[in-house]
This record gives sequence, C-alpha cells and structure tokens, in this order.
Amino acid sequence: MSERKHIIVTGGSRGLGAAMIAGLLADGHRVSTCSRKKSAAIESLLASHADSFFWQEAQVGEGEQVDAFVKAAGEWAGDDGIYGLVNNAGVAQTGILASFPNVESERMIQINLIGAIQMARAVSPFLMKRGEGRIINISSIIGQRGYNGMSAYSASKAGMDGLTRALARELGPRQITVNSVAPGYVATEMSSTLTPPQMKQIVNRTPLGRLASEQDVFELVRFLLSDKASCITGQVILVDGGISC
Amino acid sequence: MTEEQVLGEISKAVAQILSDKGLPAPALTADTELLGGDLQIDSLDLAMLVREMEERIGFDPFQDGFIDFRTAGELAKLYVK
Repeated sequence: MSERKHIIVTGGSRGLGAAMIAGLLADGHRVSTCSRKKSAAIESLLASHADSFFWQEAQVGEGEQVDAFVKAAGEWAGDDGIYGLVNNAGVAQTGILASFPNVESERMIQINLIGAIQMARAVSPFLMKRGEGRIINISSIIGQRGYNGMSAYSASKAGMDGLTRALARELGPRQITVNSVAPGYVATEMSSTLTPPQMKQIVNRTPLGRLASEQDVFELVRFLLSDKASCITGQVILVDGGISC
Repeated sequence: MTEEQVLGEISKAVAQILSDKGLPAPALTADTELLGGDLQIDSLDLAMLVREMEERIGFDPFQDGFIDFRTAGELAKLYVK
C-alpha cells in the first residue's frame, strides 16, 4: 500500500494484534483498536502515534460496544473513513469437551466468532460506501484440522472461515475482499497449551522446520490489505510452515 | 416523527444512494417497492439504507430481530414510535 489507509485491528492490546498494529503504523497507516483495558502496549502507541492511532474501551462480542467503537473510530478517521478490518480478537481455552464448562465454550464462540460477525457488520457500511475495502479474519489451522482439547475453539475458527466465504460473496460486488489468514501452530497461540515435547513434535512434522512467527502472519495480512491482493477473496490461507500440506 | 416525515427521510437517503451510483432519484411514495421494482437499488444498497435510517432517526427497529418489509411505506412505519 502506498496510500495511507485507516484499518481497524481487533485484539490489539497484545501478541499478534499488537505486532500487526506496530507494523501497519510503521507502514504509515492509521490504526484503530479496542480492548477491555488499556494495556501497556496501547499506552505506548497512544503516546508515540497520537495522530495515527486510536483506541477505545470496548469488548469484542458485545454488540453495542462494538457499534460504538466502530462509529467512534470512523469519526476519528474523518475523511479517511475505514478501509480495512482485521478480526484478530480471540480467546483460547483448552480442555476435554466432556468436562469443559459450557460457559467457556459460549465465551469463546461469543468473542471469536460472534465478535468477528459484529465487527464486520459494523464496518461493512463504511467499506460499501467507499466501494472498496478489506476484511481479514485471523482464524487458525485448528479450525481446519482440529486439535485435541480445543473443540469449541476449533468450531469458532471454522465458523470464521465460513463467515469469510459467505461475506466474500456478499461484498464482492462492492470490490470488498474478505479472506481468512490461518496461522499454524504459532508459539503465542499454543505456548500455554502444549508441552515442550509436543512443540518439538510439531516442529519436526513441519516441512519448513519451524513454527510461523507473528511477522510471518503479518506479512500475509499486509499483502492482503494491499492493492496487489485485489483479486483474492473468499480464501483461507494458511501460514503454517507447510504442516497442513 | 410522523410516517410522512420518515418517508421524506427515506426518500432523501435513497436519493443519496442513487446519486452515489450516478443515478437520478425518482419520486418515492409509500407504495414504492424498495427491491424488485423501478428503483435501481440492490440488496446491498438496501442494507445501506437501513443503516442510514438508523443514523437519521436515532434507533434501529431491527435490533430485536428482522421484520419483513417490501415498500417504502412499510419501512417508514417501523420508525414511527
């Protein structure tokens, strides 16, 4: 992207989201994000990028808060409007489904899937109005392949991929692309749930011999946001070192 | 807002949508079919119209679920409390 755009990235207070925000700001874009609390990373970005970074307290998955955040972000951006949305907010809990608390499954579906739908709903009028735009859903290899102890999480991510395909068809006539970026077993996602021997086994089974990094994932997001990716839509693209091939 | 006033807002919003597409705005009455009639708007335009009306009137009548409507008059009624 040569031109400055305004992009909303959810789940930006830490991890992959914070890395993507830093990358987009470094590329000269304006970025908005929301979270329940203002993290140290958010405080730092607000101080260093006062004119190009917007944050508002909002919980993804709570429809009214999502609507209020997107409206505020659109107003903050002024004539730049909103060009893109990266649905990155998500939570992961593991456990054997037979004893997994229903409330945790519901929370994961609410934040990971319903939250993504709410954000896309709130942002899409901005994109439709300008007749262009990008929606990128950060799903997961686990949505495609499943993983022991991650049934509800897998369902939420597979749901995001369904959202991607349907919304790509719906918004295509307005030149808005919708794609899923599905990281493989990224250390940040799985570090709390996998033992070192399990991690070693995954690396050994990966053709490229390493886990995807946050930067690897961001490079694909950056490309999909660019004009160069204007003919790619409705796809789920894995960044997994080839483990799924 | 009266039904007639709401209809006026719908008319303005439709005119804006058509204008953005480089199309002229025909006269709109309560019986005008929003989709499938003479208006050159598609389902995405209709979605934009509903969102625009929420901005103009200040509430979303579809907050608790979808309500079927076919004409401009039927849509206007949903915004009259």
